[in-house]
Amino acid sequence: MGYYNIQEEKVFNSGHAACPGCSEALAIRYIINTLGPDSIGVVPPSCIAIISGPQPLSSMRMPVYQTTLEASAASATGISRALKAKGNDHTNVVVIAGDGGTYDIGFQSLSSAAERNEDFIYVCLDNEGYMNTGAQKSSSTPYLAYTTSTPSGKPTPKKNLAEIMAAHRIPYVATATTGYPEDLARKVARAKELKGTGLRFILVLTPCLDGWGVADHAGPKTSRLAVETGVFPLYEVEYGERYTLNFGSKGTPVQAYLSQQSRYKHLRPEQIQEIQSQVDANWERLRERFSVP
Amino acid sequence: MSGERILVNGNHAAAYGVRLARPMVVPVYPITPQTPIVEKISEFQAEGQMEVELVTAESEHSAMSACITASLTGVRVFTATASQGLMLMHEMLHYASGARAPIVMVNVNRTIGSPWGFWPDQTDSLAQRDTGWIQYYCESGQESLDTILQAFRVAEKVLLPAMVVHEAFYVSHSLEVVEVPAQELADQFLPPFTPPHRLDPEIKESWGNTVNQDMFYRHRKTLGEAMDNALAAAKEADADYRALVGRGYGIIEEYRCDNPEIIIATMGSMTGTAREAVDELRAEGLAVGLLKVKLFRPFPLKDVRRALTGVPKVVVLDRNFAPGTGGFLHQEMKAALYGMSDGPEVHGYLAGVGGTNIPPAKIKDMVREALAEKAAAEPVWKG
Amino acid sequence: MPEVIKEVPPIWTTGWTDILNTGTWRSAVPVHKKRPAPCHKACPVEGEIPVWTQLVKAEKYQEAWLALAANNPFPAVTGRVCHHPCEGSCNRGEYDGAVAINALEHYVGDLALQEGWSLPKPEKEREQRVLVIGAGPAGLSCAYRLRLEGYQVTVFEEKPEAGGVLRYGIPQYRLPKAVLAGEIKRLQELGISIETGRRFESYELEQYEQEYDAVFLAIGAGKAKSLPQFPSDKRVLNGLEFLARANQNDTIALGQQVVVVGGGSVAMDVARTARRLGSYVTVLALEDGEHLPAQTDEVTGALEEGIAITGGAMVQEVQSSERGLGLACVKVNLDPEAPPGVLKPVVVPGSEFSLIADQVILAIGQDPETDVWNHLLPVKQTLFQIKPDFSTDRPGVFAGGDDASAERYVSSAIGQGKMAARSIARYLTGGSGSVDEEIVSLEEPVPFKDINTFYFPSQSRDYKGTTAAEQRVRDFSEVKTGFSSDQALAQAERCFSCGSCIECDNCFYFCPDMAVVKDATLEEHYRILDQYCKGCGSCVEECPRGAVVLKEESR
Repeated sequence: MGYYNIQEEKVFNSGHAACPGCSEALAIRYIINTLGPDSIGVVPPSCIAIISGPQPLSSMRMPVYQTTLEASAASATGISRALKAKGNDHTNVVVIAGDGGTYDIGFQSLSSAAERNEDFIYVCLDNEGYMNTGAQKSSSTPYLAYTTSTPSGKPTPKKNLAEIMAAHRIPYVATATTGYPEDLARKVARAKELKGTGLRFILVLTPCLDGWGVADHAGPKTSRLAVETGVFPLYEVEYGERYTLNFGSKGTPVQAYLSQQSRYKHLRPEQIQEIQSQVDANWERLRERFSVP
Repeated sequence: MSGERILVNGNHAAAYGVRLARPMVVPVYPITPQTPIVEKISEFQAEGQMEVELVTAESEHSAMSACITASLTGVRVFTATASQGLMLMHEMLHYASGARAPIVMVNVNRTIGSPWGFWPDQTDSLAQRDTGWIQYYCESGQESLDTILQAFRVAEKVLLPAMVVHEAFYVSHSLEVVEVPAQELADQFLPPFTPPHRLDPEIKESWGNTVNQDMFYRHRKTLGEAMDNALAAAKEADADYRALVGRGYGIIEEYRCDNPEIIIATMGSMTGTAREAVDELRAEGLAVGLLKVKLFRPFPLKDVRRALTGVPKVVVLDRNFAPGTGGFLHQEMKAALYGMSDGPEVHGYLAGVGGTNIPPAKIKDMVREALAEKAAAEPVWKG
Repeated sequence: MPEVIKEVPPIWTTGWTDILNTGTWRSAVPVHKKRPAPCHKACPVEGEIPVWTQLVKAEKYQEAWLALAANNPFPAVTGRVCHHPCEGSCNRGEYDGAVAINALEHYVGDLALQEGWSLPKPEKEREQRVLVIGAGPAGLSCAYRLRLEGYQVTVFEEKPEAGGVLRYGIPQYRLPKAVLAGEIKRLQELGISIETGRRFESYELEQYEQEYDAVFLAIGAGKAKSLPQFPSDKRVLNGLEFLARANQNDTIALGQQVVVVGGGSVAMDVARTARRLGSYVTVLALEDGEHLPAQTDEVTGALEEGIAITGGAMVQEVQSSERGLGLACVKVNLDPEAPPGVLKPVVVPGSEFSLIADQVILAIGQDPETDVWNHLLPVKQTLFQIKPDFSTDRPGVFAGGDDASAERYVSSAIGQGKMAARSIARYLTGGSGSVDEEIVSLEEPVPFKDINTFYFPSQSRDYKGTTAAEQRVRDFSEVKTGFSSDQALAQAERCFSCGSCIECDNCFYFCPDMAVVKDATLEEHYRILDQYCKGCGSCVEECPRGAVVLKEESR
């Protein structure tokens, strides 16, 4: 009678240190429980590192290597190549990084790993800022959003990382979010299935309850509004060419999404209209890429 | 089972050493004057002489990052760099020793910008002395080749990364006849790397979680113990290598140190020149010896003290410079010898900083000057 | 992990976080609980509407019908004639239109008749006997519930056939006789004895009190009210009598122009019946057109069928002549200051108008015939005076339905019969037991804000469900067309199932702490792991139907 049907292997443990209602914890659940225990994780400094567990305990029943903030993709490369050298063709290697570690400081090593088409999965849990250090802006922070380093709102738009990764023509790029857990799990399963073909990249929007200013229970709801307003469409790209839309704009006004979050509470009506126009334009531009109109 | 004798430059000699060690992952990034090492390894791989995963990283930082995880996944790892590349790796050098990853890396000493230069100067690697890496300083391609094998053995025994260092051009690009040991001997000397703790889904151990103060304290202390153990391990490795291959170097080398009035202490390519100067001075009747510090980290404190006990003077020649203190070896020697009742007076000369040429005659002048004068507390610039 | 591996430098992990007690962080804990749906709270028979609609959705039709019939033995009847306050309170009404619950009930009720499904037999027989006076909806509902508990029930009915207002009041185009007969037959098959043509006189009470262990008076409201300004004339009929005759297929000549006085359901039934007999019909009601007491769909139906409704008007004088009855009328407003339930018309000066009628039918209300009982039982304003448990002053004598309530809805009567049966059973078992142990929940119904509409894609109610008006007025064929099976399924799909868990597992799937586990042994299906739950409330928010609530905790 349910709305979702998700097969999970129990890799993610209870007792982890995520905030109550944390979207990242929920995302991690569907990422590693879909990949299964025959996996090795790479985690840079981020909330994910906190969630991984205080020494000597781990929240993940698989080996996890915590690396430096800029080195995730290079670290995953090392593991992936070592496994290959040992003749291991079954263990999944997965990076779970935040947006700061991906869009900003980790972008160089990620782009290079993508260019080399290294055989691992890179998941970016995108909460649109440096939330673990108290909500500073990253290059993923959206236009006009408040952070502690952009107190009057960020003056420039969010970097379009999914498109940048697609432009590397890697086997698989997908966007996902926690409000659609089955879609997320399916995309992770798809990435797993594509092992051996090269780098697979999944960008997961994970609303930060504290950093965005939403209630503890509102993560999934906020995430769905991001999709339904067209702010964050869910889609897949194979080899930079084949686009598939999973969930897109339902025409819900962007106001419905912005008004849920205190990081946008300073916006004036004309600024909301400006954001709406940008979202509409981005959505139209993206729509042109889907094979099925 | 004697080896093959070939005419190669120092970098290619190192590459032969790497081939003998059979690393499974080699992340690389080009930088002058190191590039011939990774070029040669790439050539070996292309020709089927090496089975290795080459990672053409976009930076030294990523190369070292990949080294650490490959090593933690349980395979032997090698890389090489120089100068700016080493500087970019700095963060990951600490990370590697913290992770107890027995990576072996060749660093070809080169001046650090700015301004730009390509000259032999040991400041780049010496400035990494506190990163928790074992450091060997070599004076020839042959020595680098042999030391790479020894470094892997020591590193994997104590679980610390090791740097094998030789200088730009004087060693890296100078042709010499090198004997390459037979692969069977190398295999006998260096068994496969099988660490008990590794990133392995069968074991499920994770590495790198946030720790508390006590854990960090214990971790650093353990790391220090491993570094201490590296001394004995290095001696043992050198002895075993000598027994197997017929060549050895010791962690320090004492050359003509019988009853000397003064000893020249130095590292790297300068030791070759100094050896010549010692021979000439001995021929002139001056009781001069040479102390070559090959293993710089861990510092062979007891060996150095023993070698200099009762020696009136030591002149330390540093082709490197730490602004504000002087030559690295000079500082280390003073610290090592401090408190000895019968220790030598220590002269510190900055010689060859920035890659300037120091011929034997110049060394001989410096020895005579040191014999004639009282040692200054400050370093003395000697061109 | 192997033991040897545990002796490691402190950089490698040695265990798992599930030994940590993150449950200590929380200040509130989620509780899975069944909460009343607004439809259930509004339903006069306390119907478990979310339960049976979910069974329809699962295409478990017989189970759905049994769940329906558990509270109401007449689903096919009420599926047609219920005033369905459930739909008025349906949370989906605030979204994209209330679920067409009544039509769904109609569908399931008809399916049961078509398939010949039987009501469940009593689990055990009891010797105690109960006499029910009146085989209308209240009487039969009470009889049904008591019979289910194994009591021996006899029903006396003065009319030739059972059904009361269902048989003699509601016209066939709203409730076909075969449907009623089918549902009554099923009750008789359950062992209820209905003695028709048996008028019960008040003086018999004492005798039957001896013979029976309890008596339930459900004599209905069969006496039509009259208005003094109307003369005694064959051209002035009362609505009840008119409907009773029409329901027995009597030939009634009404003439061309019929005026119906009254604005309630009976007035509409009368008007639409007269229309089907070929007359032009005008309805005069005190209430204005927007506020007629009749149900909206009845008024709409009447208007569609060409009936003129003049609201806010009354007849002041009647002139009798050969040409017909001349009605001197005037427009009125109702005094808003009047006490509740009292209509106090205030004449609008200068608004006089007149009408000519061949026939006037009065449908201004009806009263129970309680005057003959007032020496035995307390009666106030024509209604038996009862306590909240439907008992009267006489031990073992209970009353309910139209004789004790001014509510005058079929479903209310059925509900009162059910509740009276509960009290009678409690009385018969010495106060310890009851027909069922259901406690009327005092809990507030699930509000719309507790529904997570993401899980309910907008799907309009899209249900007309009547035949065309031109077609309707030709005869007494049934007006409501009912659902096809596809329509029924589509409609059941629309039910939010407010407050009733359907095991969708959303609470399980959305927990970032894996603190919700499925447990088939529990009635609520899920268990919260106290050690891990941080009290974020995601399970509460993501429950599509408000079946999980957050309970504050103090430590």
